[in-house]
This record gives sequence, structure tokens and C-alpha cells, in this order.
Amino acid sequence: MNCTVTTETGGLDEGPECVIRMPLGLLGFEQCKSFTLYAKPVEEPFLWLQAVGNGKLAFLAMSPYVALPSYRPEIAEEDAQFLGLQGPEEGLIFNIVTVRGPQQATVNLKGPIVLNRRTLVAKQVIPLNAPEYSVAHPLPIQGH
Amino acid sequence: MLILSRKLNESIVIDGRITVKVVRIEGEVIKLGIAAPADVPVHRQEVYEEIRQSNEAAVTRRSGAVPRLFTKGVAPGAPTLDPLAGLPA
Repeated sequence: MNCTVTTETGGLDEGPECVIRMPLGLLGFEQCKSFTLYAKPVEEPFLWLQAVGNGKLAFLAMSPYVALPSYRPEIAEEDAQFLGLQGPEEGLIFNIVTVRGPQQATVNLKGPIVLNRRTLVAKQVIPLNAPEYSVAHPLPIQGH
Repeated sequence: MLILSRKLNESIVIDGRITVKVVRIEGEVIKLGIAAPADVPVHRQEVYEEIRQSNEAAVTRRSGAVPRLFTKGVAPGAPTLDPLAGLPA
């Protein structure tokens, strides 16, 4: 697997990092099929999704359960098969965050990204119960 | 745009590998059955557009300040704050 812990100080800071494959890309960015997923401890609970080969294409993301503990996206059978998920414990769900201003950020709960932890293949899916969730679920931002 | 007339239970074939069939007609609602390979994503257009626009608005510069969240009390049931925990090392 391509997962390593980066220790070099000039790079992405210390923290876990791995390269994931998204064979279908993200919706609207279908041409980018490989992303580095990494987290900086000081930026918890956020993580970064950085397109490989395109330094300008990066997304902030997070575990949806921080924003909505009751979040239960129903993943379609075709998506589970596409990802080769053999059980729920193999899947990891994270969601893209939009920073709209210093005091405003939202998370897209309608189009989660599901990652197979074993194969590191991921897909942005539309859950069967997507109408229950917002593309712009507000996040509780700390003021300054 | 190519416009074809189809009756109930008739189909069209796209690129020799995608079949779209009229499965049911109920007034203004037409149910389509779509058979496509796994590498061909099929979405309702309005949902696809909503998520595509959200993705485009979410492109973030890495140099920008990352917001700080109130996490205490927000997510008592959150399984972990480290979403990468458990990935193969």
C-alpha cells in the first residue's frame, strides 16, 4: 500500500498521508483520478484531498460524524461492488468542506466520498437516501 | 440533440454497451431502466449538478487558514477525530 507517515518537516507537516485512486474522479473533476489524502494534527478534524499532478486542485474534507453524528448514508449496492467493499469496516467515509468565509463553512453530506481502506480506491457516491441530506450542511465555526 | 420515439418496454442502445429502457409510464412520470457498465456513472441530472457545483465551490487553496470548529459537545458519538486512523500503514 502507498500509505506512509511523512516525517520531513519541509513537506506536509507530520501526519498520516496516503495516495488514493478515484477511477471516476470527483463530480465535475472527472479527469483527476489520483489524490493525496493527508491530515495535519493542528487542523483536526479536517483533512486534505490534494489532486496528484495539479497543485491548484485541493479540497478540505472531514469525517461527517463530527458534523452530524446520526449521519447514515445508504450506499448503493453497485457502489459497494465498484469499490470492492467486503464489509462495512472496510469503508471509510469523508465529505468535502466548503469554506465560505472566516466564520462560515459547510460540509457536503449529499455526495460523500467512500474509500476502501484495503485497496485505497475511492468514489464520490450519491447515497440512496441523498434527498435527506444537504450539500451545504453548516459547520459550527469558532469565532475569533 | 437526437430525439427518438419509444413505446413502453422499448429500449435504445448507446455505444453498444448502455441500454436505456422505458419501464413504466405513469402520467407525467416515465420510469427508465438503465443498464450500464460499472465504470459509467449514471445520475439524476439535478443531483449531479448540485454536487458538481458544490465540488467546484469547495476548491480550496492550501495556504488559506483552516477554520476551527467547535467540536466539544457537537459530536459526542463521533467514532474518531482522526479519519485516517486504521488505514494500512
